[in-house]
Amino acid sequence: MKKLAVIIFRSPGQDPRKHEMEENILAALASDPDVAAAMAPHLYDLREADAAVASLRSVTGPLVVLAWLYPRAIHWTLDRLGIKGQRGETQLRRDDPEDEKRKDSASAPNASARTIWSLDLRDNDDTATHVAEIQRILRDLHAVSANAGPAASVTLPSVIRMQPSGVSLSRWYPVIDFGRCNDCMECLDFCLFGVYGVDDDGHVVVESPDNCKKGCPACSRVCPQNAILFPMHRTPAIAGAPGASFDARKLDLSELFGAPAAVQLAAAERNAALAGAEKEAKPRDNLDKLMDALDDAKL
Amino acid sequence: MDLARRCIMPDELVFMMGNFAARFPTDRRYTLNHMWLNAEGDSVRFGLSAYAIRLLREVYFLEWSVDAGAAVRQKDEIGAVESSKAVAALYAPADGTITRFNAGALADPSAINKDGYGAGWLFEMTARAADAMEPAEYLKYLETSWTKAQELLKGQMAQ
Repeated sequence: MKKLAVIIFRSPGQDPRKHEMEENILAALASDPDVAAAMAPHLYDLREADAAVASLRSVTGPLVVLAWLYPRAIHWTLDRLGIKGQRGETQLRRDDPEDEKRKDSASAPNASARTIWSLDLRDNDDTATHVAEIQRILRDLHAVSANAGPAASVTLPSVIRMQPSGVSLSRWYPVIDFGRCNDCMECLDFCLFGVYGVDDDGHVVVESPDNCKKGCPACSRVCPQNAILFPMHRTPAIAGAPGASFDARKLDLSELFGAPAAVQLAAAERNAALAGAEKEAKPRDNLDKLMDALDDAKL
Repeated sequence: MDLARRCIMPDELVFMMGNFAARFPTDRRYTLNHMWLNAEGDSVRFGLSAYAIRLLREVYFLEWSVDAGAAVRQKDEIGAVESSKAVAALYAPADGTITRFNAGALADPSAINKDGYGAGWLFEMTARAADAMEPAEYLKYLETSWTKAQELLKGQMAQ
């Protein structure tokens, strides 16, 4: 009887070293009689209608998830797809102290009793380290079941459909950390593209993820709780990195206060690149509106 | 007559930042990095202009990385400010020697928001400050600076 399910989500790109590591971890786990392991497509690009998601939802019992994303992003992307559980503690990476503080007060709605451990494959490029961490989790499970009766058994479909249905396109949308979100609705007010909505219980949800403008993480910056993640954003604080403080998300006005030329040049280049991307991606906003939005943002 | 006229048209210029009216007293001059200055003999007092304060919003942290008595060159980094919205390094507005920091603003930076042109002053230095602008000139400069500021804000918001 399998005691622990392990899902390895493939990296979004074609990096052979990453794919090799995914394969190596899967191979290393194949010989463990207590582990049921499978490979799945890139987590963030999955859609609710994908066959892979249906397979993942049918997995019961304790679950370890490995992906090329921050653990917090993994957890809440799964949650969004209806694959829910309590966040398991891993020893490869310390939890965000911000979340430690909140653990008692905030439990996510609909959190189920099972535990999901999320591991960031970028934390270590050594296959053995990840495998050792999975074995540690397994030992802990054994210790618990020795005290409290048999562990919950695991069901895992023999094959998780590798390809999402239809054409696989890289997606871009916000993921809400419901452990932090307090339904203040700032994002709902701020987003001009109707990405957010309110569910029947009055909680803010990502209602129309495909309305989101690729590359734009602005709602994440205005969120007072730092609860909006863009798992693929290059800025760690926005992608869900632990320990990223609110301060890291503040505007840097040094340039306006006389920062030296090199900084000005870099910023000018960056802004030019951004303006080019914006021309394609979305119509230019009224700049006054932006200032009003800043007024209301209460960062 | 004179007094009544002053009440209607106070001695300040106004620059509109969106819907916000930033006010600039005409009894002092202004620098490119958005400080005001008032000279008294050899000593020149500096503070943040209403434009800078509006961009920062509530200032709740101020620190200086040089000591009083330090000789500085224009654009040397001398400190940092943090607000509800932003962080920013502060740079020396001119060549000279910083003689005194405002202990009141250092202890309670909210003085910068409450009275940025008075009790919220930042530091005094001996400086010629020859390239400081008259208020009307500063307002013209703000028109270009404002566009740049909005681009910077927009860029960072959408980054």
